[in-house]
Amino acid sequence: MANEELLKNITEAVVEGEPELVVELTETAISEGIEPIMILNEALTKGITIVGDYFGSGHYYLPDLLLGAKAMDAGVKKLEPLLVGTVREFYGKVLMGTVQGDLHEIGKNIVGMMLKTSGFEVIDLGTDVPASKFVEKVKELKPDILGISALLTTTIGRQKEIIELLLEEGLRDQVKVIIGGAPINGAWADKIGADGYAEDALSSVVIAKKLVGRA
Amino acid sequence: MRFELLAEYELSQIHEASLKVLETIGIHTTSERFKKLLLDNGCKEEKGRILFPRHVISNALKTVPREFKLYGRNNSPVLEIGKEKAYCQTCVGTPSMMDLETGEKRDATVKDLEEYTRLADSLEFINIISPIFPRDVPQEIILTFETATLLRNTSKPLSICIESSRELPYILELLALAAGGKEALREKPIAMLPVSPLSPLEYGYDPAEALIDVVEAGLPLGVEPCPMMGSTAPMTVAGIAVQHNAEILAGVIASQLIKPGALVTMSSRATFMEMRSGVGLWAMPEMGLAGAVMNQLAKFYGIPSAPGGFCGASKIADSQSGYEHLYNALMEALIGSDIIGSAGSLDNALTSCYAMLVIDNELSSVVQRTIKGVEVTEEKLAVNVIAEVIETQSNFLEHKHTRKHLRAGELWVPSLGDRQTYEKWADKGERIEDKARRIAKELISNHPGLTTSAEVDAQFERVLERARKTEIGS
Repeated sequence: MANEELLKNITEAVVEGEPELVVELTETAISEGIEPIMILNEALTKGITIVGDYFGSGHYYLPDLLLGAKAMDAGVKKLEPLLVGTVREFYGKVLMGTVQGDLHEIGKNIVGMMLKTSGFEVIDLGTDVPASKFVEKVKELKPDILGISALLTTTIGRQKEIIELLLEEGLRDQVKVIIGGAPINGAWADKIGADGYAEDALSSVVIAKKLVGRA
Repeated sequence: MRFELLAEYELSQIHEASLKVLETIGIHTTSERFKKLLLDNGCKEEKGRILFPRHVISNALKTVPREFKLYGRNNSPVLEIGKEKAYCQTCVGTPSMMDLETGEKRDATVKDLEEYTRLADSLEFINIISPIFPRDVPQEIILTFETATLLRNTSKPLSICIESSRELPYILELLALAAGGKEALREKPIAMLPVSPLSPLEYGYDPAEALIDVVEAGLPLGVEPCPMMGSTAPMTVAGIAVQHNAEILAGVIASQLIKPGALVTMSSRATFMEMRSGVGLWAMPEMGLAGAVMNQLAKFYGIPSAPGGFCGASKIADSQSGYEHLYNALMEALIGSDIIGSAGSLDNALTSCYAMLVIDNELSSVVQRTIKGVEVTEEKLAVNVIAEVIETQSNFLEHKHTRKHLRAGELWVPSLGDRQTYEKWADKGERIEDKARRIAKELISNHPGLTTSAEVDAQFERVLERARKTEIGS
């Protein structure tokens, strides 16, 4: 298979959301001697951009988007060992997690995937994350954006607690804070001093880009 | 009324699939107590998950009571749970409220909790009351505060979703004070206490511990996970039913292992997702369809059912919310439902609305009328009446049979819907949402007030004071 065609097929496999096929084709591409950075930029990234466009224009849905991201990730994993030393370009680094006492994560995971596919580096702390851990990780990883998720009416108060702790630790001006969760609204975001709130997955990307000055 | 959504062989396929899920995939829990309970009673642990052997499942299901009674106070009617009467329950936990004056959405407040409870107390076909979640209360004692507020403003039976065991002692104390003692509360429970494990198949620490404590307190439990098709459950109606059934049965089984004969309902909340925005939907038709499947399963096991049904995606009290709520509730009621929840809700159970509760009262009334069915007796077949009218060249309007059955309530009478002539209606031209809002205001201002005695009220204050001191330290 010609190199160009191989790259095109990888792109298509990402667009179709076929992780196994992407892995297979990426391995072939590597063994054919195509530059890893070229596979990343000309095939995988290109594919996920198309996925993002299709989603944006309304003919792709969330499962298409997530499978596309999964397919891209599978390819990137194959390339990573070969990409050591090359620096990947991201819009910014996003640290996210669900607050203590809350195990709900589907919304957070969707937003995480959306941000990933839109060119952000995403670090997910998982669920039931204490305020102290959020703050400790902000110190350690220096993210551009901190995303705090809460679903239960009884746990959304934790979002406030984390922002207060960031203030106490003198970290508040070093990171933008976005909040999410079904019971969350703009008024709550304003009240607790968050920098952003998105009512759905798609607008989370718009807000994240705006916050890192890339809108 | 005899309706079935699934054929018997389809139903048993779902049942078998759920058993397979429990036997081979099982549940996960972070509560050591919950884990120990299950393992001590025949469940197996494999790769960190708790599996349910078939005999554990079938033995536990044998002891679940088919029926129990839920009591109100002050001569409020006794509810017969297990007789498929489609009792209507208000939506729990909405943090937002549609303002009664402005119609705008805003945070729910303590004043809302009081007035909304009084409204529900006044509406005949709202049978069980759950609390909205006011934002202007210390969140550490919110459930305690809500329980006291509900008891002070309604005599109807309550449903209080217990999110953790922490506040349970205060809640039980308040309920016992209102019921006239701990023993009286157990004998005649005035509240049921659902817990909500996570989907898929996750009994997190808080709901798992709460489940044990509710059963030990001897009050009716509800097992109420809330899976979402295509995100926290399979994308198919059959698939969500399999998983939802398994995760509810796990809780039901646990309740029977703690105390054989413990009162419990299968409280399904089979929701789905808007596949572009990720918004969680409590809309139609999937929620009603899946709820109906879940009810059919509950009937198959002989366990009372309590799905959410008076719900939809509409943001205001309008035609959309009207048809969504009616579709879901009626679907579930036709198959057979003991309780149908989410009344008064809008926006996928995130907002409560005074006007919508008045509309749902009307819908509940017609749903409860519908499932009474059509009585067929010699008298009602009225062959003689037809003959007489024809022979005498008369009409039915002036026949005694008509008067008799009119008086006996053959015709359903709307308390809200308009049936005037066009001209009479056009006089005011009042839309149903506006009429509902007007009725809500009237009912709230005519409510007799405190439903607890001064003595009990003072005791409540002491419980609240203690909760405040212990839980927030002020």
